[in-house]
Amino acid sequence: MKITADTGSCVASGQCVLLAPGTFDQDEDAGTVVLLADEPADGEEDAVRQAELTCPAAAIRLSGA
Amino acid sequence: MTTTEETPRLPFARANALAIAPDYEALRRQAPISRVLSPAGDPAWLVTSYEEAKEIFRDKRFGRSHPAPEQASRISHAAVQDGPSGDFDTEEQEHKRMRRMLAPAFSAPRMRALGDRIAELTDRCLDDLQAAHDAHPGEPVDLTDFLAFPLPVLVICELLGVPYADREKFRGLSERIARMDGGEDAQAAMTEFKAYMTELADEKRADPQPDVISDMVAVQADDPTFTDDDLARMGAGLLFAGHETTSTRIAMGTLFLLSDTARRDRFAADPHGEVNRTVEEILRLTATSGTGLLRYAHEDVEVAGTRIMRGDAVLISSDAANRDATVFTDPDEFDPARTPNVHLAFGTGAHVCIGANLARTELRTVFPKLFGRFPGLRLAAGIDEIPVRVNRVAGGVDAVPVTW
Ligand code: SF4
Repeated sequence: MKITADTGSCVASGQCVLLAPGTFDQDEDAGTVVLLADEPADGEEDAVRQAELTCPAAAIRLSGA
Repeated sequence: MTTTEETPRLPFARANALAIAPDYEALRRQAPISRVLSPAGDPAWLVTSYEEAKEIFRDKRFGRSHPAPEQASRISHAAVQDGPSGDFDTEEQEHKRMRRMLAPAFSAPRMRALGDRIAELTDRCLDDLQAAHDAHPGEPVDLTDFLAFPLPVLVICELLGVPYADREKFRGLSERIARMDGGEDAQAAMTEFKAYMTELADEKRADPQPDVISDMVAVQADDPTFTDDDLARMGAGLLFAGHETTSTRIAMGTLFLLSDTARRDRFAADPHGEVNRTVEEILRLTATSGTGLLRYAHEDVEVAGTRIMRGDAVLISSDAANRDATVFTDPDEFDPARTPNVHLAFGTGAHVCIGANLARTELRTVFPKLFGRFPGLRLAAGIDEIPVRVNRVAGGVDAVPVTW
């Protein structure tokens, strides 16, 4: 599973970080998403899927199995 | 043409605090978007279906401002969510500025940092709850007085830099601005609330602190288009929204957990393991305002075959959307195991609640602590005896009598 995050459309809600803190972080100043790796961290596959669905800005995209 | 008699008028009556009005489902069965009258008696569209709610939340052709505010449908006689707000020409820009200004303070890293403090404050509230119980053994204690109200207030006070000692003042003001039949008094309370925030901003200007009001003052120094009135309104909005909504969720979450002993026991057996998904389910099911979130169409838009004209008021009922059976199986059932649980309790899209992380962090702290300490907590009244606030923008209940 490959993750991409579009910082341009991100509205800095931080929902992804709360769901999958090993995979996403937020920029301290702008609040926009920071991808820690382009694959889900260990044990965070489900959380990352939930993040894709929950992201209010549809900024998170997953591809591959 | 529908006549006025046939057009349903908000807010709809509900059976008890845990239920939502059956009218929502009845309307959704006919169409995703219905014609209703607002509590103020003006025409509006009511969105009850999940897909359309999500679509409109994300659609930039809807906003909080109105092209001709004096002609806009009024929603209620409160001083929040009562009608259009902001300037039609600059709304998007101003919204972006607000998000940019507030995002760092509400970001997940800051919430992580705040987590320990929230835990400490929760413990203090629970000590007070215990003390109230000890002072009058055998009598019910009101959980709203000792936990649901004070905790979010303590937290938002720290975050914004508002003195906790002023809580009775802004509790009173918050109640008055949000009364849907408030009228002149609601407006007067809003004026007072803004004057209070202006005073506070002056103090921060003279003596900046690591808090959100100081951040706003700093932004203002570089941006003269951000007026004193903007600052006061935003500060009042944050203080109001920051405590009312979370307070409601703590009270309602406790009611959900206590209304079924097996459910309570399941949670109390493994609070840390259960908490995240339990919180999401509480967020999904808690019915809040009787109106939903307000938008105005900025151009003619067609949604699900309904033509919405420029300037029309649209009320998006997250309460109804979150119980849409096409998305949530057995939508009225409290089921923390549902996954994914992509509810719309915070809205979605560009206007998604900026306090969502704060609310989640508080709720994820409160419930394990409450049931860790009082695993035998129970309601001291029947669920039907708990009066629902029908007249308030943020909804909620007046009291949660508990004992153990
Ligand atoms: S959930 Fe979406 S909008 Fe929110 S911070 Fe993550 S990427 Fe940005």
